[in-house]
Amino acid sequence: MTDRDYLGEFEHIIVLALLRLEDRAYGVTVRQEIEMRIKREVSIGAVYATLDRLESKGYVKSRRGDPTPERGGRSKRFFRVTAKGVTAVNRTQRALQTMSKGLELIRSY
Amino acid sequence: MTSRPDLVLPPRIATWLVSLFVLPEEQSILGDLHEEFCDLASKSGVRFARRWYWRQSLTTIAHLFGAGFCAAPWSTSAAVVGGFVLDGFVHGLPDKVLSAVTDKYLTYWSAHFQAYLWVLKAILIEHFVLSMFVGCIVALAAKGREMVATVTLSLVLFGLAVPAYFALLAEHWPMGEALWWMLFQCAGPFAIVIGGAMVRTRRSRAASSLGRVIRNL
Repeated sequence: MTDRDYLGEFEHIIVLALLRLEDRAYGVTVRQEIEMRIKREVSIGAVYATLDRLESKGYVKSRRGDPTPERGGRSKRFFRVTAKGVTAVNRTQRALQTMSKGLELIRSY
Repeated sequence: MTSRPDLVLPPRIATWLVSLFVLPEEQSILGDLHEEFCDLASKSGVRFARRWYWRQSLTTIAHLFGAGFCAAPWSTSAAVVGGFVLDGFVHGLPDKVLSAVTDKYLTYWSAHFQAYLWVLKAILIEHFVLSMFVGCIVALAAKGREMVATVTLSLVLFGLAVPAYFALLAEHWPMGEALWWMLFQCAGPFAIVIGGAMVRTRRSRAASSLGRVIRNL
């Protein structure tokens, strides 16, 4: 892993969802945000698997909330994007923009 | 039967299955599923929520299985290979002893054919129990990834049995006998997963009771 790494498609989507949700970002809200915006059913397992990977790369950080009865006595795990994560998402966005520039012609195929 | 959504709990079996793949200290996934289930049950009905919960649980298990393997591929593979060798060893030994005994006292067994059939049933039970033992050992070796290791091992064993089944059919074995043989082969992988689930459940209980003690201090 280098500092020039780009985010994968789903990693990119997850980081953007975290940035939108700010301090309300935990499993349920991240999953619902993605479903609502891109109309794609996402499993909570896929969200956590990606978040864990992003955390191991240092792009996100997590903290635990208190256990609540409406969650069966289990706590929430809140996530936030780190400075390194913001740099990575910017780098990925720029790469995508550069690569897609001038490709409007592709629509004619 | 109608039930109040606020009193309805998510399907227990689905919750238990997901909990097998979740680390004891990582219970937020189950909390998230529980929260969304209650929300859906009050908005769209309990049946819809249950269906959603099962769908989410199964896809979540698939993702946790993949992520668990990718997180520690070498240690999981080592546990699987070790389990494969152990499986071959423990299954070979009693079968050889039993075959030796039945071959030596062939006249006795031919006179007591019913008893011989019971011995054959005992072999099936022995096969199941030994596979469960292998599952427990593999799960103990793959600490934290018990289910990933045991499910991988059972998939490998099942994957080896399938071509053998078709080979038997190609050799013109009667369909019924080949099917029984296949069921016998499937019992092993199934028992390995049960062994893994037993170790996992025991460890989760120990971890949660330890957590309670720490919280109460």
